[in-house]
Amino acid sequence: MSELSLTQDEQDVLQELMNIAYGDATAVVAEMLDAFATLSIPNIRLIETSALLHELKGLEGESYFFSTQAFNGMFSGESAFFIDTQSACNLAKHLDLENDEDLDDAILELTNVLTSSLTIRLAQEMNAEIKFSLPSINKLPYNKIQTNKTLQEYSQVIVIDTEINFKDQKINGEIFILTKDGSIKWLKNQLSSILEALM
Amino acid sequence: MAKESTEQYFRSIDVDKKLIANIDNGIIIVDEALNIYYFNKWLEIYTHLKEKDVLGEKLNSVFANINVKTLQRKIRTALKMDSPSFYIASNSKYLIPIKINRIKASGFTHMRQDVSVIPFDTEKRLVALIISDQTSIVSMNILLELNIQKIEDLNKELIREKNIIDKRVLFMKINNEYLITDCSQAYMDLLGVQKIDIYLQNFFNYENLKSAEELTKEILNHIQEKKVYKYEKITLTDKEKEITLLNTLVPEYDKNGMHIGFIIFSENITSAKLVQKQQQILLQNSRTSAMGEMISMIAHQWRQPLSVINTIIATLKVKKELDVLDDATLEESYDKIEKTVSYLSDTIDDFRNFFKTNKELSLIPIQTIFDKATNLLMGDIKAYKIHYTENISDDIKINTYKNELIQTLINILKNSIDAFKDTPRENQTLTVKVWEEPRYVIIEIEDNAGGIKEEIVGKVLEPYFSTKSKNGTGLGLYLCKTIVEEHLNGELTIKSKGVNTTSIIKLAKNLENKKEEI
Ligand SMILES: Nc1ncnc2c1ncn2[C@@H]1O[C@H](COP(=O)(O)OP(=O)(O)OP(=O)(O)O)[C@@H](O)[C@H]1O
Ligand SMILES: [Mg+2]
Repeated sequence: MSELSLTQDEQDVLQELMNIAYGDATAVVAEMLDAFATLSIPNIRLIETSALLHELKGLEGESYFFSTQAFNGMFSGESAFFIDTQSACNLAKHLDLENDEDLDDAILELTNVLTSSLTIRLAQEMNAEIKFSLPSINKLPYNKIQTNKTLQEYSQVIVIDTEINFKDQKINGEIFILTKDGSIKWLKNQLSSILEALM
Repeated sequence: MAKESTEQYFRSIDVDKKLIANIDNGIIIVDEALNIYYFNKWLEIYTHLKEKDVLGEKLNSVFANINVKTLQRKIRTALKMDSPSFYIASNSKYLIPIKINRIKASGFTHMRQDVSVIPFDTEKRLVALIISDQTSIVSMNILLELNIQKIEDLNKELIREKNIIDKRVLFMKINNEYLITDCSQAYMDLLGVQKIDIYLQNFFNYENLKSAEELTKEILNHIQEKKVYKYEKITLTDKEKEITLLNTLVPEYDKNGMHIGFIIFSENITSAKLVQKQQQILLQNSRTSAMGEMISMIAHQWRQPLSVINTIIATLKVKKELDVLDDATLEESYDKIEKTVSYLSDTIDDFRNFFKTNKELSLIPIQTIFDKATNLLMGDIKAYKIHYTENISDDIKINTYKNELIQTLINILKNSIDAFKDTPRENQTLTVKVWEEPRYVIIEIEDNAGGIKEEIVGKVLEPYFSTKSKNGTGLGLYLCKTIVEEHLNGELTIKSKGVNTTSIIKLAKNLENKKEEI
């Protein structure tokens, strides 16, 4: 097993931490949407960026929004959020948004809410502090994603599929936490020390 | 000691407050209901409002433009997350309206702002709104996007043009190892080939120039000298159609001037070649019009023998009337007439052969040729008292078309006789000299019949030029020139000095050799 992939135990711990973080995220999303919302417990995977690009092939011809937000600290990287247009419309409707700029703003907010609450909580659980920079939104066509520098710069990706349900609306999205090898090493270390403490 | 005093100093001046007051960002502290708790100096300067006037006021009543719902949502979220939420300048433009009047602001009336909503006091539910000026970045981004758009447009245009060139222009690129590295669609379409058939093939193999070794050598020479080179080449398409290409090989250099290969531009000249061929056929057809010319020539050459026959018949008539006609004279006359008539029909054959290319060459002594030529002229030579001499050594032989040479000699000798006829004089001489040079036989025919005037000597070889009014057609010397230059690969010159006229015929000794040389 490669130095940079997680063992089954480590993966389990990460999943557990993520579940806790998701609880927080759900509460924040509910706050933001001002409605009772549920987030389905996500499945997380750690994959290589090249594999991610391969997965993204499915997006060809689809319309979607793609937003990113960088974070810094012991655990650093960039989080990306994909949301399909239908889900974005659902969001706009719910928030009574008037124009496209407001929609972009709301998507960024959702990105920020999801990634911040997840990542911060995750970091907290591992005794680290991280800071977020301003998110940015991209409407990249599929072929540009493939050559996008942001994605290429990172080696490993934590992929989290999310589904937010509120009222009778649904928002489907995918969160990618892109990290460099150093951060993955740090994550692995933290996970194994948590594991040790549990034993 | 130093450390202690430093600490004391910083404690006394309240670092945070001093810094925040002077920081290059706007800072407002509000609660969830948007009541203002703090309004920093930066904002005072930009909004022209004093902190004391806005404290306790609602942000949305100070700034009416604020979307309360969105701002409150962001505040709630930030507090809930205990982590900032944001407004992004590119989407939300600005939160606090601040007029700007900078020249470089690219049309914005208000400062563009990024706003971070930072949880300040979770218990009191206070947040700090940190406002930063993003105007130049946003306008820069707009400028950038505009330029990116321009570049993309240009790029599209370039691609479009490249496509047009690709579709229309026949070209191929080869690298320094003579491998084909690029090939236009037009070229592939013309030959009916696919990329895989052609890419990275060796140019020489592909061009299949093995058969044309000479051409391959030529191309290689030019390639090595990095010179532009043009050559024609016949190629087969996939449908086995023969096409002719005019290829131009141009050396290609990279941006540093390093030679990196060649571009071969091709021009499909198949149809041009076809036109050329058709022209040749037309030219052949114009031989039919040459038939007319031929008939004129035959007629021209018939005049002398016909006049010989005429003379014989006239003589016979007179002798008969005087009743002095004996059998011997009759026999002799018949014989002469028979010979002359056969010469007439030979002349027809000679001229029929005139345009054939596969005529038979004969190796023949020059003397024999002169004997045949003078045969018809001897009557006149004697009648006009011309002193005719030949200076030909026996062993001079020539490999040529003999009948055509005979016709030429007859014409030239006849012209001399005509000149003597016109202006008889004392001591009339007609002299023939023949000598050899390594590759040529030179025939010189000279008379003293009065010469040719300087102003017309240059015209005598032209068709239909004659000074003999109705007696001359002016075709004689033209015929000679045509025969000598086009059929015998020789040269004919007519010179005149005083009463003398000299005709010089320079002939290839061996017509076959001469032909190979060309
Ligand atoms: N030996 C010569 N002496 C003087 N003039 C000559 C001589 N040979 C040719 N010419 C001049 O050159 C002209 C052209 O000669 P050419 O043989 O072409 O035609 P032609 O003799 O006039 O006509 P045709 O040959 O039909 O009798 C003659 O008309 C004559 O003026
Ligand atoms: Mg003549």
